[in-house]
Amino acid sequence: MRKRVFTVLSMLVLVSLVLGACGPAATPTPAPAQPTTAPQPTTAPQPTTPPPTQPPAAPKRGGTLTIGINQNPPTLDPHASPSAITFYILSSTGESLLYLTPDRQLKPWLAESWEVSADAKVFTFRLRKDVTFQDGTPFNAQAVKWNFDRITSPDFHAGAAAGLVVGYDHTEVVDEYTVRIHFRNGYVPFLTNAASPVLSMISPVATEQQGAKVNETPVTTGPYRLTEFVANDHATMERWDGYNRQPPWADHVGPGYVDKIIWKVIPETGTRVATVESGECQVIADVPYSDLPRLQASKDITIQNAAWVGSPLQWLLNVTKPPTDDVRVRKALNFAINRQALADTIYRGTGRPPVGIVTAALLDVPLLSSYYPYDPDKARQLLAEAGWNRTGADGFLVNDQGKRLEIQINSIDYGTGPREIDQWVQAQLQAIGIAVTLKAQARPPWYEDNYACATNGPIMLYRFGDPDSLQALFHSKNVGGFANWSCVKDPELDRLIEQARVETDAQKRTQLYVELSKRVLENAYIVPLVDELSVWALRSEVTGLKFNGFTYPVAADVYFVR
Amino acid sequence: MGIYTLRRFVWAVPVVFGVSVLVFMMLHLVPGDPVKMMLSEFQTTQEQLDLLRSQLHLDESLPKQYARFVWGALHGDLGYSIRTKRPVSREITDNLLPTLELASLGLLVAAIMGIGLGILAALKPHSWVDASSSVFALLGISMPSFWLGLLMIFAFSLHLKLFPATGGGDLKHLVLPALTLGLTESAIIARLTRSSMLEVLRQEYIVVARSKGLRESAVLLRHALKNALIPVVTIFGLQFGRLLAGAVVVETVFGRPGIGRLIVEAIINKDFPLVQGIVLLVSCTYVLVNLIVDLAYGFLDPRIRYD
Repeated sequence: MRKRVFTVLSMLVLVSLVLGACGPAATPTPAPAQPTTAPQPTTAPQPTTPPPTQPPAAPKRGGTLTIGINQNPPTLDPHASPSAITFYILSSTGESLLYLTPDRQLKPWLAESWEVSADAKVFTFRLRKDVTFQDGTPFNAQAVKWNFDRITSPDFHAGAAAGLVVGYDHTEVVDEYTVRIHFRNGYVPFLTNAASPVLSMISPVATEQQGAKVNETPVTTGPYRLTEFVANDHATMERWDGYNRQPPWADHVGPGYVDKIIWKVIPETGTRVATVESGECQVIADVPYSDLPRLQASKDITIQNAAWVGSPLQWLLNVTKPPTDDVRVRKALNFAINRQALADTIYRGTGRPPVGIVTAALLDVPLLSSYYPYDPDKARQLLAEAGWNRTGADGFLVNDQGKRLEIQINSIDYGTGPREIDQWVQAQLQAIGIAVTLKAQARPPWYEDNYACATNGPIMLYRFGDPDSLQALFHSKNVGGFANWSCVKDPELDRLIEQARVETDAQKRTQLYVELSKRVLENAYIVPLVDELSVWALRSEVTGLKFNGFTYPVAADVYFVR
Repeated sequence: MGIYTLRRFVWAVPVVFGVSVLVFMMLHLVPGDPVKMMLSEFQTTQEQLDLLRSQLHLDESLPKQYARFVWGALHGDLGYSIRTKRPVSREITDNLLPTLELASLGLLVAAIMGIGLGILAALKPHSWVDASSSVFALLGISMPSFWLGLLMIFAFSLHLKLFPATGGGDLKHLVLPALTLGLTESAIIARLTRSSMLEVLRQEYIVVARSKGLRESAVLLRHALKNALIPVVTIFGLQFGRLLAGAVVVETVFGRPGIGRLIVEAIINKDFPLVQGIVLLVSCTYVLVNLIVDLAYGFLDPRIRYD
């Protein structure tokens, strides 16, 4: 018997040695975050253009490009989808009236020129005359009208599109190639929205004919044609040789270079990274920071970043629930967070300290560092002023009544426990004596609590292409809905939001958003944490991946260099 | 036998009825307003909420809603997915085949490996073969399938480049997922086969068979194995459920479409019609599999009679 036990044990040891040998490569252990150490100044990652590793040669045509993405698009109908992942795919096939460059310039696309009325209620677009949909249907004013009427029809469940045409009244067909879109109220953000892939134009004829198939292979005007979609597996698009124009992102006239682009759904991060290393995919999205150093070191792989537009990852502080109802406590939280350390230790090259209440890619006005530099002493002083002036037996701050300073973060849990970032914030605040608890819970109750203002607020991010979307976070009418989860009712914020919405002068409009940002920061309604980057890995045999002003990838000009 | 089969079928009816009530009530037992929850990631107006409510018939009385649900289900109409806008029945059929492929191939791997190893271990108890099979079983039971899956990808896809890591489609894409699923499940079968075989091999009828001069293979397969398989078949039935559950993880690791991933995504997205449809399907599958297991006993051991 003893001999048998020994045999079993020795085999176990042997096997564990074998497993251990290949272990580290498959599951990298995250290095422990060190929230208290002072940050080392690091070179901030720059948004990269593809580095010219190869001498510029004429782009080669042909080949099949496989791109690994992390989620399944619920539908590929641009007007129905609520999900960003749909627009990762559609940005290479759909075309909109306008185009938004990464440096936020509007360019002509399906519309050659445009005008906005003084009250921002009427938008006139003069359309190109040489455009057809991939099914041969001509693109004209009638088609534009059909698209906008479709999105706003009460029978149609619009997804993200519904939020981009707020107050739509009707479309007027002026002549075959001129349309006027009328809104009930002034709505300046519509210009940016008209450039979004969410408002891609689809063929009226094909859509009426294909019924539910529009969720799989919508017919657009772009350089690639969607041919197949297998849910949870892949979407395929083929080069459309009928394309004879120069899209605003391209350096050439005509369709793209590769014959076929396959978007593969690979939710598991480790698997996705393995596929770009093995060559099964040539491009992958959402590279995790843990694999970043290894991929950066590989000569077969190039890393490409694009800074996300929208809000930073932020903690919305519930102003109705103690102790975050006290502005001194909210300010203290802002002083207590070492954002540089967060970017360096948790994000490690995939994020940067925020500049304000929207990301630098959307509004590059540095405000945050002047309001709230990292200053734990200042934080302690503010807490003392707010009455949290003594340290209790357990090391946490208490007030004169002996009550402990307790703050509860609403922490979303996708089944793997509270997120690392939430734990980091917790540790950072515990270091100055705040007892932070994480209410880690699944998505539905997480939303319920946000709607009910039940915790001291969630840590969340919200991505958008126009700062008008700040209305969701800060307009008083969205308390109890989506997504004013600071539960703040501030008439001044409402006024600024409404004014910016009708301001047609771009500079004045920007100024209004700066004022709005200052108001939010002065009152510390939120704690901005980090600006995230969209991180991609490309095999070195492909090049030409671009990003539009919404940080969505444009793969239509990617080609194989060897 | 015929009567028994019929009786079992009749017994399945109240079970399925109970399941349908539970599935139906699911939507109503969740705290909060289901319509509001489904649209919680959007800015919505009251009109939009009311529209969705009436489209889902949530404004009708409960019995009426239940009748509508059952009537629809009997006609294969399970409503529409909130998120993908496609019919629930279509979502299910699209994802069912890949899961059945994976589960059946996984079960095959589990059966071959498990029964094979079990027999070997039982033939030479306490030998190195037996010890390795114990280690194998221990590893199989304790190794989570996502970990094994990543190891498979690491070895066979990244380094040896033998099989693709991801995707549905042909057999090539099925090899790694099926091995992953099958290996973890084969462990328990191996242990069970071993102990069951050891017991049977001690029986007198084995001695009789051997003394009749039967070939050893005939003794083992016809006399010993068939008798030893009864508990194994029971486990197979239970494992089918585990396979469906394990398939979620394996499907995610290998980026395959399937029922497992479909239901997880449906739950995360609060896509109630889709959740109801899948739970109904999976419950009915369980009922069916248990029925098959019961009938299989009769084939394996004629002493089990059904009258």
